[in-house]
Amino acid sequence: MIRTLTRAAVLGLALTTAIVSVAEAAGMLTIARREDGTTFDPINTAQNVDFWVFSNVFDVMVRVDNEGQKLLPGLAESWEVSGDGLTYTFHLRDAKFSDGSAVTAEDAAYSLTRIRDSELSLWQDTYKIIKDMQTPDAKTLVVTLTGPSAPFLSTLAMPGASIVSKAAMESMGAEAFAEKPVGSGAFMVEEWRRGDRVILKKNPDYWDAANVSLDGVEWISMPDDNTRMLAVQAGQIDAAIFVPFSQVAELKKDEKLNVVINPSTREDHLLLNHEHAPLDNPKVREAIDYAINKQAIVDTVTFGIGEVANSYVPKGALYHLADNGARAFDPEKAKALMAEAGAGDFTLNYLVDSGDQTQEQVAILVQQQLENVGIKVNLQKVDPSQTWQMELDGDFDLAMNYWVNDILDPDQKTTFVLGHDVNMNYMTRYKNEKVKELVAAGRIEMDPAKREAIYHEIQKLAKADVHWIDLYYSPFLSVTQKGVENFGQNPLGRFYLEETVKTY
Amino acid sequence: MSLLSLSLPLRARIGRRPMLAMGLAILGGFVALALLAPLIAPFDPILQDAGAKLLPPSWDHPFGTDNFGRDVFSRVLWGTRIDLQIAVLGVVFPFLIGTGVGTVAGFFGGWVDAVLMRVIDVVLAFPFLVLMLSIIAILGPGLASFYIAMALVGWVSYARLIRAQILVLKSQDFAVAAASLGFSRLRIMFRHLLPNALAGSLVFVMSDAVLVLLNGASISYLGLGVQPPVAEWGVMVAEAQGFISQAWWITLFPGLAIVTLAFGFSLTGDALADLMGVHE
Repeated sequence: MIRTLTRAAVLGLALTTAIVSVAEAAGMLTIARREDGTTFDPINTAQNVDFWVFSNVFDVMVRVDNEGQKLLPGLAESWEVSGDGLTYTFHLRDAKFSDGSAVTAEDAAYSLTRIRDSELSLWQDTYKIIKDMQTPDAKTLVVTLTGPSAPFLSTLAMPGASIVSKAAMESMGAEAFAEKPVGSGAFMVEEWRRGDRVILKKNPDYWDAANVSLDGVEWISMPDDNTRMLAVQAGQIDAAIFVPFSQVAELKKDEKLNVVINPSTREDHLLLNHEHAPLDNPKVREAIDYAINKQAIVDTVTFGIGEVANSYVPKGALYHLADNGARAFDPEKAKALMAEAGAGDFTLNYLVDSGDQTQEQVAILVQQQLENVGIKVNLQKVDPSQTWQMELDGDFDLAMNYWVNDILDPDQKTTFVLGHDVNMNYMTRYKNEKVKELVAAGRIEMDPAKREAIYHEIQKLAKADVHWIDLYYSPFLSVTQKGVENFGQNPLGRFYLEETVKTY
Repeated sequence: MSLLSLSLPLRARIGRRPMLAMGLAILGGFVALALLAPLIAPFDPILQDAGAKLLPPSWDHPFGTDNFGRDVFSRVLWGTRIDLQIAVLGVVFPFLIGTGVGTVAGFFGGWVDAVLMRVIDVVLAFPFLVLMLSIIAILGPGLASFYIAMALVGWVSYARLIRAQILVLKSQDFAVAAASLGFSRLRIMFRHLLPNALAGSLVFVMSDAVLVLLNGASISYLGLGVQPPVAEWGVMVAEAQGFISQAWWITLFPGLAIVTLAFGFSLTGDALADLMGVHE
């Protein structure tokens, strides 16, 4: 009996020590997020969960600043652009990969060739603009474009265009590299327990290592929102991201915690299928826009934290136009337009990702709001794995989606949403030749003032046509213990962990 | 013992069995609530009120309001209709199909029995929920799909139960006597054997109703059953999951309703088993 007790006591002691040692691991920042990443091969993913982690493991040629306003030097210390806008000459800084080898122009050329040409790349189209790359010396990269491109520099800041070690990639092979990469970022991958956590430790060879305070970062997956918030409230972890809107007020009251609200480029919107009658009638689309009370959605779904969206270019992002003719909530006008359109009674099929609380809440609100103007909405809950395909196939009338910008420049989203390319304008099947031409013109216009005018015109035209319905902008929400300083992300989502300090 | 012999002293027997009385009272209570929902419910169950979101229980809103400002009390009341319907329809079809198949298999025996029993084995070979989920996935979400899936999957238990009873009964004296009197097979099957074989199934109906109710709630919870904005208890629990730490009332009351109704069915089932001398 006594022996059992002793054993229990020893076990208890061991457990307590283990817990204490985890909590006190100085300089290790534990961050809980909803899901684990999928890969560390920069070109092989388009997911935020991946981008957000490996933007601290890899470096990019040019960086976006923490406010999401301008481009800063990254691995490229400086650069020159030729007068015709076709040749970019980058001068690389003295930087090392996590295995101690130097970052050379050849590594940069190799990485950019990979994202343009590799069959693993999900971003080939974006980088097809690169015609040729030369490396006159180890620190100089000369890129020649097929034509002038205003967004080109911005695309070099995308995490997908991270610079990888050519030697490591070639000796390890892409598959092994994707598990344990060699990059030149502030942190390096120590261990990846798939489905559970990614453990990063400080990269001593990082070019700015002297200014990195953290010893390491642990990204832990905690899918359940309530569990994740309880863990940070209980002090088991240092930070948690994806704070549900509903819990912000309560977390703010907790004196031990800091709620971090960072402006983001996220925009939630409602897709309309322009090919399905009567949505092919602009008057009907306008009526729907007038009938939806976006402020009610902001209040109910984001607890007032978000903001009504007026344009597909998010507020605070480059060339956002505040006055683009957005329609205020006006059910009477909606009814009048419906009568004018003479569409009669109809039912719309609204796709909802089952299990997605935000989507379900918006759907229930929109359903009632549209019913008030005489439009019946049938909610169709579908497994999230199927919705994308159904949207591609045009098997929907309404569907909700969101977009977070990957690059600073508006061209990427504009092309995808209004450029009339392969994805049928983000599955909406929207058509407007004028808009199509403007999108193409905006891409090659190098004069910022003229470019701004083009994007303003696009925003007005698209809004007039109701290409989709802008719902709301919302910030990135995270929560940390009080002693964590400088924790946050820029509007594109990148966490600036190299600046983060843990003071306890 | 024949079911028919119960009919006369039923009331007296119930009176002496508090479990049965309580079970029937709970079930009766829910039926009454379902019927009277439009009269009792203070609010429209799907009416949203932006000014009354997430209010805790009060005199105006006895069960509080949800994140759309809908009255939880009214939603629970209206939900009674849907959940009772789930419990009843989800049991009736499997019961009818299973009883028919089981009687035929047990009575005729031979190759008829062999074929039917193999079909049952095939259905049983798949885990219940997996089979049901795949049927619903094919038919599309909604209550109709749920009832069809229940009918296709749930009947096997009833079939096996009835078949076993019929096998025992058909060799007993009264059955043999009926046969020697020259009664038709149909008459023996349905007038003599079936009524005597039903007791076990009727008891099972009650416990099955509990399972079906929980199944229906879980299916709706997964987004495959009742579609929003219709009030159903499982859906209500699922929808309010994100608010559990600051608005417990949205999940608690529909949760309690599920538990209470299930309890009512269980009590009645247990008491019926006692009453009829059936031991599962």
